[in-house]
Amino acid sequence: MPLYLPIAELSMNIFLVMGMGALVGLLSGIFGVGGGFLMTPLLIFAGVPPAVAVATQSNQITAASVSGVIAHWRRQGVDFKMGGVLIAGGGVGAFIGAEIFTILRAQGQVDLMISLAYVVFLGLIGGLMFWESMRAIIRQRRGIVPPRKPREERHKAWIHALPFKMRFRKSRLYISVLLPLVIGFFVGVLSAIMGVGGGFVMVPAMIYLLNMPTNVVIGTSLLQIIFVTALTTVFHSVNTQTVDIFLAILLLPGAVIGAQFGVRIGMKLKAEQLRALLALMVLLVCAKMAVALMVEPPELYSVTDMDVMGEHN
Amino acid sequence: MIARLAIFCGLLLGLAVPVNGLVTDLSNKRIEIRYSFSGAELILFGAVGSTNIDVRQDDYDVVIVVRGPESAAVVRKKAKVGAIWVNQDNLRFPSAPGYYAVAATRPLKEIANPVAFASYGIGFHNLPLVAETGAGLAMPDPEFRDALFRLRSNEGLYRQERDEVAIIGQGLFRTNVHLPANVPVGEFIVETFIFQHGSMRSRNRIALTVDKEGFERAAYNFAHGYPFWYGIVAVFVALGAGWLAGVLGRK
Repeated sequence: MPLYLPIAELSMNIFLVMGMGALVGLLSGIFGVGGGFLMTPLLIFAGVPPAVAVATQSNQITAASVSGVIAHWRRQGVDFKMGGVLIAGGGVGAFIGAEIFTILRAQGQVDLMISLAYVVFLGLIGGLMFWESMRAIIRQRRGIVPPRKPREERHKAWIHALPFKMRFRKSRLYISVLLPLVIGFFVGVLSAIMGVGGGFVMVPAMIYLLNMPTNVVIGTSLLQIIFVTALTTVFHSVNTQTVDIFLAILLLPGAVIGAQFGVRIGMKLKAEQLRALLALMVLLVCAKMAVALMVEPPELYSVTDMDVMGEHN
Repeated sequence: MIARLAIFCGLLLGLAVPVNGLVTDLSNKRIEIRYSFSGAELILFGAVGSTNIDVRQDDYDVVIVVRGPESAAVVRKKAKVGAIWVNQDNLRFPSAPGYYAVAATRPLKEIANPVAFASYGIGFHNLPLVAETGAGLAMPDPEFRDALFRLRSNEGLYRQERDEVAIIGQGLFRTNVHLPANVPVGEFIVETFIFQHGSMRSRNRIALTVDKEGFERAAYNFAHGYPFWYGIVAVFVALGAGWLAGVLGRK
């Protein structure tokens, strides 16, 4: 059943769209990740223009993160002060990201930037995760338990040397406000140019750099993601009119239902195996995008309609 | 006196070449793009009528040109930079038709010589396309012009030598007009030419409108006319839908 998407200006099969939502929802449920970094490439592979895929995905992530943040809030798993600092950094990052996006779109280079950003980030994250999970699996087989350093030692010295310290009671931290601001900013830029929530960068950063207790990490990162993707949605709407709310809403039911099943499947698998699988999947998407950049395309030319607002009614 | 003579001559000419004798109509003159839109198929009917062509005695050819609204288009060419392929050269066409289709009773080259088609602007290669360069408007690089034609043909937006006009007999003819799902919205012109012995004998034009309707139109206009508020609404709809999906998903 075809459905005409008025903003993307193309006709897509409604079951294909919902199926993609369900597939990504399933994977995000299994692996406990947001799924934006899988959905955006999938939309691009399905023929959605990359710029529309990225902007729409921001909108979809806002929707997909609501119930999670409510659940974490109920069980006191959100550090609102830390969230606020991350959002402040993220808002500025998203604004700058959206400006870069707009400039490159006018020059016909936005698709290239999206692909490059994906190849670099998926390659880095996937590679790191794969290496780390393989090490964990090998250690487990050999029965080695790595000694865990006490919390104070794990906190790097240079982080304590930074100025503008602030107290975050919920996270039991007294650290420089600059660090979460910079992390938030970086995630905001990624959100705007890649159509991701940025959890895959922010969660490790919160654990390893900020050293936040794990019970507030997910809730706080979701809070930041909701606000930053909401801002990104508005920025993209204003700059490039590429947010297709219908596409975003269509992806949602599949994503929610898929995630419920995914969580159940995920609970039956071991954490290290899960991470190794996720790492492989991330590397696979990365490889596909890298190959697409490097292989000589069958058609060297492309055409873009340069409709100026108002002329196209 | 001279004016009267001119009118008289005009009338005489008008009588001699009664161009109004050609009549065409479309099965639908207003295409509405709705949520289920996946392209449209129109039927164009025409009758040669009381022209100077004797439909019983002489063979004639029909060429139908459907032209969509014009807009600026940029054609880009990829080149290898290091290890990857990057958009490099580009050419901007300030006004290229968003849809262009030519249907005829026979292959164009059998109907008339290229000069005849050029003078009426029939066929993609006779479109008055110009390119915008740093030094003003110029003739486009044929490579880019061909690429525009090829790319839009692949999308079903440019159709030439693909559709046939069927002559039903007694001066009646018909053809199908194929509009793909990605057809641009706006005013279309459907021009019908009658050729005989290699020269144009009669022509007429009718209009066709393609527009987004109802909800689709409202959504599009809202997104482009009030982008900030569209963004705000999109965020709140997402928040509401996400909350609802969470509530329903738990049950």
